[in-house]
Amino acid sequence: MAGLNTSLSIATQSLMAQEAALEMTSNNIANANTPGYTRETIVLTEADVVQQGSVTLGGGVTLQGLESVRDQLLNLRIQQQTSQQSSADAQTGALQQLQTLFPTTGSSLATGLSSFFTSLSALSSNPTSLASRQAVLSAGQNLAGEFNTVSSGLSTQQSALDQQTVSDVSSINQLSSQIAGLNAQQAQLTGTGENVGSVEDQIGSLELKLSQLTNLSVTHTPAGDTLTTGTGTPLVVGGKSYALETTAGANGRQQVLDGSGTDITSAISGGDLGGTLAVRDTAIPNLLGQLDSFASQFAAAINAAQAKGYDQNGQAGGPLFTVSATVAGAAASIALATTDPAAIAASSDGSSGSNGNLANLAAVATAKLGSGQSPEDVSAGLIYQVGSDTATAQAESSAIGLSLTQLTQQQSSVSGVSIDEESANLIRYQQAYEAAAKIVNTVATLFNVTLNMGTAVGGS
Amino acid sequence: MRFNATFGSTITTDIQQSEQALQTALQQVSTGKRVNLPSDDPAASAALVQSLNQSANVDQYTANATAASSQAQSGDSVLSSVVSLLNKAITLGTEGANGTTSAADRASIASQVNGLLASVASEANTTYQGVALFGGTANSGPAFVADAASPDGYTYAGNTGINYIAVGDTLKVQVNVPGSQIFTQPGASALGSLQQLATALTSGTTAQIGAATAAVTSALSYVSEQHAVYGNAVNQFASQEDFLSQESVTLKSQQTSLVGIDTATAAETLAQAEAQNSELLAAAAKVLPTTLLDYLK
Repeated sequence: MAGLNTSLSIATQSLMAQEAALEMTSNNIANANTPGYTRETIVLTEADVVQQGSVTLGGGVTLQGLESVRDQLLNLRIQQQTSQQSSADAQTGALQQLQTLFPTTGSSLATGLSSFFTSLSALSSNPTSLASRQAVLSAGQNLAGEFNTVSSGLSTQQSALDQQTVSDVSSINQLSSQIAGLNAQQAQLTGTGENVGSVEDQIGSLELKLSQLTNLSVTHTPAGDTLTTGTGTPLVVGGKSYALETTAGANGRQQVLDGSGTDITSAISGGDLGGTLAVRDTAIPNLLGQLDSFASQFAAAINAAQAKGYDQNGQAGGPLFTVSATVAGAAASIALATTDPAAIAASSDGSSGSNGNLANLAAVATAKLGSGQSPEDVSAGLIYQVGSDTATAQAESSAIGLSLTQLTQQQSSVSGVSIDEESANLIRYQQAYEAAAKIVNTVATLFNVTLNMGTAVGGS
Repeated sequence: MRFNATFGSTITTDIQQSEQALQTALQQVSTGKRVNLPSDDPAASAALVQSLNQSANVDQYTANATAASSQAQSGDSVLSSVVSLLNKAITLGTEGANGTTSAADRASIASQVNGLLASVASEANTTYQGVALFGGTANSGPAFVADAASPDGYTYAGNTGINYIAVGDTLKVQVNVPGSQIFTQPGASALGSLQQLATALTSGTTAQIGAATAAVTSALSYVSEQHAVYGNAVNQFASQEDFLSQESVTLKSQQTSLVGIDTATAAETLAQAEAQNSELLAAAAKVLPTTLLDYLK
């Protein structure tokens, strides 16, 4: 039955709906700058119609609830890109520190090498000069020192990255357990049919943090998100999280184990953890390996050249450098074998004024070592390698940065709060509320009129 | 598509990028370098290291050439003196071979020749940086030791070792000639022929004096040849030093072009970066504060 009561009830519903809309607008504006917040919209539907004879009248408005506007696919892509970006950033950061070990000018391995060979050449113009012989020893000492410095710089960086691995894994575990908790909360809220928007927002922002740490694979289920690493190691399933562990491996570095104790270190990619492991387990061992075999081959070549000649006392030339027996650790262990300037085997025939063997020693500079490259090429090659690794990581980071910016803008256009839009809505809802209130007022007046009408009849 | 004006975040990113570009441009202007770290240009950095290495080698070759040149000059001046001493001896020998010269005069000439012999021997024992210049590579005191038993009057105490010095990547030059080759060469021995002349003047016939003088003459022509070798070496070092100094300049300009930046280009980049940055900031200041709320009053 249509009537004033119906109008009043419609107006009351409308007031409630506009109130909810105002509250939603207020909440949107309040969270305009909250990271991870997804804007909400109000879901209003027409109420059931009222049939009056042949006339169908509208039944007012029904407030269905609030809905968060999110694009799950876009969020997944942002998570993936974030993971790659963090990996590139971690590599850039670590490599930028490494490349300071290989400067192109000033004191470096390359200049140490160059000085050593020029000191040999200088000695050749006056092979009996004690000062020139001492200069060769000093240059050799300096060169061995450069090898030691670079090697220890690389190892130090590796240890720092080792600690970073442990701290990343612990952050991953913490985030996993928080997400598991929120998953449980979400399942409970869904069960009672309540709005889960804010819980989803929280899960989303934690997942984004997690994907900054490692490559993440997310599956949405009604019981909450299932998270695994890119290669399928479970992190969170429903309300349960599975912690990763770290333990020192055979090579002395921290290995990452999954919940069942399987080593998954080499399977981890992406995120800060992936980038850290890539530098720790690939870039640094590669550089260190080249440096070690360089030191080992260089010492062997110089010592072999020494053995071809005679020292200042006419004795067969002894080794000039000592180096570890194994190639691994050669750069860290290389040192001068003697402090006696006379030990430099300059002479080719045993006479102390001869400089014939210095040519053999100097020839090591351009002779091919075991690696097929001359010492000069190897030292330049190391600089190229570290520079190129760093430049690649930087380029990757800025390329992903661009696409990430684009995706974030896209996400913001879907889920972000627009102050202008909210301001406009505010006015719309305000006007609708005022109009509904006006209807309540009007109906109240009409009730009075109707009641007074009865009084007037009775009174007459 | 819904458009959401997220000026805040994009403008911050843009300003950061613009400021980074400005800083890079400023750094390039202040250092004059395009490449400051290996990652700026890995290939150029590696090439720079090799070029610097080459520069260090060229500098060392230059130092070697200078040292070898002064050693050769010292040898050259020794041989000049020896040539003039031998010329004097020939004059004296010719005078002594003259039949009219009295025995007393010959004795006097003989003592002069002995003096010349001592001078030549002393020149042959010249040291350079404390080492006998004509002692080969022996480094064992004087090159020639007086020895009455030897027909030359002196024994060679050095060896026949020869040192070479690198003055280029593939160029090595001989820096010493063993004294035995210059002063006691069989058939053209400077010391031996002088000794022979002195003996002939003291107790020989005119014919013997003449033969001895002829021996001194052949020794002179041999020493003159060796003298020319030193003279050539000095010239060769001088031209090699010229070449090396050009090479050094070439390498320096190569290094500049590898990692350096043209001042004009750098200044232009900086000016552009400055202009772009200030425009961006002005635009941001204009756009950022504006919302619908400004007009809802």
